[in-house]
Amino acid sequence: MELSYWWILPLAATAVAIAAWLSRRRRPSRNRAIAHGGRLTDLPEYQRALRRHRARLALAVVLGAVFLAATATAAARPAQRSTEQPEIRNRDIVLCLDVSGSMTSTDAAIAGVFQKLAKEFDGERIGMVIFDSSSVQLFPLTDDYDYAAEQLKQATEALDDGAGSFFDGTWNGDGSSLIGDGLATCVQSFPDTEGSAAIPGDSKRSRSVVLATDNFLSGEPIFTLEEAATLAAAKNVKVHALNPADMDYGDQPDQPGTQLRASTEHTGGTYFTLDSPDAVPGIVHKVQETEATSYTAAPQAVVADAPALPLGIAFVAGAGLLVLGWRLEP
Amino acid sequence: MPSLLRRIKSKMFIFAHRRTLSLLDGEYGSVFKGRSLDFDELRAYVPGDEVRDIDWKATARHGSPLVKRYVAVRRHSVLLMMDTGRNLAARSLSGEPKKDVAVHAAGVLGYLASRHGDDIGLLHGDAAGSKYIPPRNGEEHLERLLREVDANAPCTGASNIAEQLDYVLRYLKGRLLIVAVADEFLPDTRTVSLMRRLSARHEVLWLTIRDADLAPEDAEKALDSFDVGTGQGIPMPLAMDATVRAAYAAAMLDRDESRRNIFRTVGIAEEQTTGSEDVLTAVFALLEKHRSGAMSARSSGKDGANAG
Repeated sequence: MELSYWWILPLAATAVAIAAWLSRRRRPSRNRAIAHGGRLTDLPEYQRALRRHRARLALAVVLGAVFLAATATAAARPAQRSTEQPEIRNRDIVLCLDVSGSMTSTDAAIAGVFQKLAKEFDGERIGMVIFDSSSVQLFPLTDDYDYAAEQLKQATEALDDGAGSFFDGTWNGDGSSLIGDGLATCVQSFPDTEGSAAIPGDSKRSRSVVLATDNFLSGEPIFTLEEAATLAAAKNVKVHALNPADMDYGDQPDQPGTQLRASTEHTGGTYFTLDSPDAVPGIVHKVQETEATSYTAAPQAVVADAPALPLGIAFVAGAGLLVLGWRLEP
Repeated sequence: MPSLLRRIKSKMFIFAHRRTLSLLDGEYGSVFKGRSLDFDELRAYVPGDEVRDIDWKATARHGSPLVKRYVAVRRHSVLLMMDTGRNLAARSLSGEPKKDVAVHAAGVLGYLASRHGDDIGLLHGDAAGSKYIPPRNGEEHLERLLREVDANAPCTGASNIAEQLDYVLRYLKGRLLIVAVADEFLPDTRTVSLMRRLSARHEVLWLTIRDADLAPEDAEKALDSFDVGTGQGIPMPLAMDATVRAAYAAAMLDRDESRRNIFRTVGIAEEQTTGSEDVLTAVFALLEKHRSGAMSARSSGKDGANAG
């Protein structure tokens, strides 16, 4: 609590002092001399009335002082100054779902989890890319959570059914599960942080890709997984991979699971193997937690007028004074 | 130099339109039982003269009542005993300063005495001490006495009429007509005993100047008061309080009653005046009262040894 116009207080004190002095100087003009005041003052009734009167006067003085102090304080504009460090949740998440036949149940689980999460998002942006032999951006990074939730709902239903026009455009390339291309598309759906198109502040947002794939490549991708991972690392994107079918034989680096793990760890992300789609929510939460670094913006000083307390006190004291004045009036 | 006495006289003559001044003279003369065997003159009876002064033979011859006048054996001495303490600075019941009322009362009494040819002295003072001016004749002397009171009252000391009573008893010899002018104090036991002794030794008349009403009826007059004796203030709202006022009224009745009792028991005729307007009425009533009191005392005393 601080006062915007602190100089009001000494001013008010001076005014009160001058008023008191003036009234003191004027006082002796209106009273009369009497003798044998004991005729009245010795009466017990008078003594009682005097005590009551004195108590009332004392109360009036206290209330008046409180009233003056409160109004003077209110006039001095008390303000609440606080430093706020607004916590900004500024994550960008792109769901990167391999929609080859073996992945649909996992994809559905991931879409379902994010559909629920989207309702709680505040400040995050979410986007979705599905890919098979070619990639389709289902919706770009957006903070329109209703829209995202609706899209995710459709995706969940479509992935559960495994049919419909949902997968249109994912078979345009040669082969299937061109994971490197898919990941590259996902990485590209983040806006540039440098150059003319860069949005200020974007570079501060954390970026992650939730990549669901079994890494069974068939075909000739434009980007290999390693190249896509390098691209992601260059754009500061962390790739979190969910592999529902890690069936590596041994620790050789050419095994698909190991490759995926190496790529994700290259980007600073994490790698999970899934035994069943039911484990997806837990893993997604884990990913969320690792990414849930709260970004705090620069401390901001917030000055807000807080006249409620002094004015409330002044109101109560003033009301009390009115009642007392009415009682003191003969 | 404006004369205090002239002012008082002019007020008395205004009064005279309503009640003859000679009536006052009669009353005053009757107070003094100063008679001798030296016949002076016969004069017309004036109401207030004692019936036994009437010369019945002369009255029968003349057809209207005549009163015998004697040359007084000695001049009477009238002593104005006044309390000029701090209390005199306060208001009287009429709202005038009590000092003005006191000066006026002293003037009226002194004028009556001087018309009668008596000497007038003054004793005034406060609790700290008394000042005595011995009795002398003449209006100039009276004027001087009035000026003395007017200039010196109120003194800074507290009021205590007992000091003046004590002074008289201690230092003044010879029988005096003492006219006490004081306010509405309630005598304590010492004062009562002094008053009793005083009334035994001298003729005492007591004129009380009534004090201001502490709980006045009309709110117009209601101001904060302060006690000149103690310096204590009385806030107006308290004096206007209904229960306080009722208690005050009851207490005042009691107080007046006890005052009356005290004056009755010590045998001093007492009369009250609210302000200078009714000083004359009060003086008249006082003289009347004293005379009748003295008469009754005398008749009960079965022709006391000497009348003078």
